[in-house]
Amino acid sequence: MVAFLGNTALLLASCLAAAQLFISLKIDKYKIIKYHKFVVLGLLLFTLISFFSLMYSHIVSDFSIKNVFENSHTTKPLFYKISGVWGNHEGSMLLWILVLSIFNYFIYKLYNKNNLIFVSKILQNQAIICLGFLLFTYLTSNPFDKTVAKFSNGLGFNPILQDPALAIHPPLLYLGYVGFSAAFSISLAALQLQDNEKINWNIYMKPFVLYAWSFLTIGIALGSIWAYYELGWGGWWFWDPVENASFMPWLLGTALIHSLITLEKRKSLESWVLLLAILTFLLSVIGTFLVRSGILTSVHTFALDPSRGIYILSFTALLGIYSLALFGLKEKNYNKNNFFSLTSKEGTILLNNIIMIILCASVFLGTIYPLAVEVFFKNKISVGEPYYNSIVLPIMIPAIIVMGIAPIMYWKKDNIFKILKKSIYPIILTFFITITFFYIYEKYSLAGIIGIILASWIISNTLIYLFAKIFLKINTNYSIGMTIAHLGIGLLILGATGSSVWQEEKIIRMNINDEIKINKYNVTFSKIKEISGQNYIAIQGNFLVQSDGKFITNLKPENRLYPITQIFTSEVSIHTNLSRDLYLVLGEGNSDDGWVVRLYHNPLVIWIWLGSITIFIGGLLSVTKNKKTIKNY
Amino acid sequence: MKINFITIPSLIFIFIVSIFFYLLLIDRDPSEIPSVLIDKKIPEFKTNYLSKNEIFISPENFSNRITLVNFFATWCKPCRDEHKYIKELSKKMEIEIIGINYKDDAKKTIKWLNELGNPYSDVIVDKNGKIGIEWGVYGIPETFIVDSNKKIQFRHVGPINKKILKNINLKINEIKKND
Repeated sequence: MVAFLGNTALLLASCLAAAQLFISLKIDKYKIIKYHKFVVLGLLLFTLISFFSLMYSHIVSDFSIKNVFENSHTTKPLFYKISGVWGNHEGSMLLWILVLSIFNYFIYKLYNKNNLIFVSKILQNQAIICLGFLLFTYLTSNPFDKTVAKFSNGLGFNPILQDPALAIHPPLLYLGYVGFSAAFSISLAALQLQDNEKINWNIYMKPFVLYAWSFLTIGIALGSIWAYYELGWGGWWFWDPVENASFMPWLLGTALIHSLITLEKRKSLESWVLLLAILTFLLSVIGTFLVRSGILTSVHTFALDPSRGIYILSFTALLGIYSLALFGLKEKNYNKNNFFSLTSKEGTILLNNIIMIILCASVFLGTIYPLAVEVFFKNKISVGEPYYNSIVLPIMIPAIIVMGIAPIMYWKKDNIFKILKKSIYPIILTFFITITFFYIYEKYSLAGIIGIILASWIISNTLIYLFAKIFLKINTNYSIGMTIAHLGIGLLILGATGSSVWQEEKIIRMNINDEIKINKYNVTFSKIKEISGQNYIAIQGNFLVQSDGKFITNLKPENRLYPITQIFTSEVSIHTNLSRDLYLVLGEGNSDDGWVVRLYHNPLVIWIWLGSITIFIGGLLSVTKNKKTIKNY
Repeated sequence: MKINFITIPSLIFIFIVSIFFYLLLIDRDPSEIPSVLIDKKIPEFKTNYLSKNEIFISPENFSNRITLVNFFATWCKPCRDEHKYIKELSKKMEIEIIGINYKDDAKKTIKWLNELGNPYSDVIVDKNGKIGIEWGVYGIPETFIVDSNKKIQFRHVGPINKKILKNINLKINEIKKND
């Protein structure tokens, strides 16, 4: 019954998306708001019904629905039954559609008497995207398909997905991706406008991009946290194709935010922004395709049904060819006023854009290169960490140096000596922060020195700006949101450098009462015992951590067995403070030979997460500010 | 038509999408990993038999027949799944199957084989995973085909299923023809 309701709602939502498209194309512009109100609200309502029907089925464990049968189990805790709704391909598509229709509603809310044509065109493009994904879900990945037989319990689930960070990671990531769909639609709408209908489209695009970018940041960070806590590999970023798929739109989104500012202040780079908005969303969809089609192997084991791959690729091709052709035809209307000095704020932003594009292209190349090689040379290769570390990281350096000074530079033209003069305090502060870090950690390597200097550079600059703005009340040409986001980037670089360059690793076999030293900590294997949880049994080790004879903590890593699916997982035990993580994984073993133990000393990891949260907050502050701009427009 | 800056994004896009279409339409297995060991002699190593008190020496103890080398362990769920296919392969008279018991417990393995049946001509142990490293094993189960000249001819990462079983049979016939 609930399945029928959900399925019907999904079908009706598809019809309404088609209606939304039709209304934009045909209906007279004075009646358009009334019609659109009806379909936009209807679309939102039906996707909500559909989504909550599926959620209800998961909660009550209705195993007559294939999706529930395959992905759920009665012994799952309620929280993970709910997150299990989007922990699988079909359900996650439904969530994607829900987020799309929420954004669709926000676009509708932009309507006022001056922008009728423009907003109707945005809704028209958004309707195409909604319809594409609705049909994809309804036809190839319907979450309401029935099972043939009766089952008393489900096929369980993947226990490594039982993690709070991962439970909220997809919704946040989707808010990011789908936010970029709004930018995409706005860009196409701007290109579709006649000369006499021109409008300041960029102020409409900016809040969406900021919003999308902030959520993408926090979404990626949560995925990273999951990998760090759950996979037990000691690291937090692995250049996996799926990570790259979210990192590429993030890079382009970063470029997009910055060039939007230039467009707002200097009326230049207009056609470039239009192209960036198109590419950012296209890359998001291509990323989804790469993950869902099974064309690449990665940690995300989503469905490998080729018909889905064909559908979503065809849809991507359609969107891509339509949008890029439209851009090619109409771009010249917007292509003017593109010259400016390099020593100005817009000059540094242009440099930022160029670097982000090169970064994104490098990551893209690394991700699809193995596929291209396979097609043309019938050979299998894999591109891994060494490529990204040696190509991607050095390219970031100039972008980060510029990031420190760009906010205080003037538009149009600035004087290089004045900039240097203004940078004296940050340079001194950078020097002190760097010295402090090396005094504490006492490890010198080129990569470490560069990373710490860059991080300190951003942190000192942003702290000085914030100080000047908040305490000295100096009227400045930069915003608090931007400064906080930049501070977050500085903290993130700090954490990333510390945890990768200064990481210490020990892998040994330990018996009860054995002791091992890592950094300044003595770790003693004190006991091991069997425990049982809600749906697993486990052996739990107890490791006493001391430093100079002082008690620090007890680390309790586990090796779990989930009997339902016969899956073994290892639960990492981590002790975190502001300066380092102690990360301990219990491997295989027995009481005679001892257990394999992997122990990591990961400096500054927490700053990666704190940095990401800071970026998120900065981004949201900027959204609020830019929303006001639309209202006052 | 003049190709200008503006058409470049479209061209790159079409090119990439074509590659994706091609890869989707051909019959391919993304988890298939070719081995650098293909056409190379099998690695040299010494180890114990699971239940015999003798030393197994490679390559000397490999017979002059086509040999299937299968890495397995009792703690590995997919190994249990593929076991029936190994049993099916063991019905072939012309081949030998050597099981390499990877990072496992001898008692558990003997019990496991008693329960599921023992398709292997010989089971040898790789207690600490060193032999696995020699063979470049990614994760178990993993299966290799060694020809009568003791050269590796085929590698499969992951459990054997119906389709892989067919591939293995084809490969064995092909090797037989070339001999």
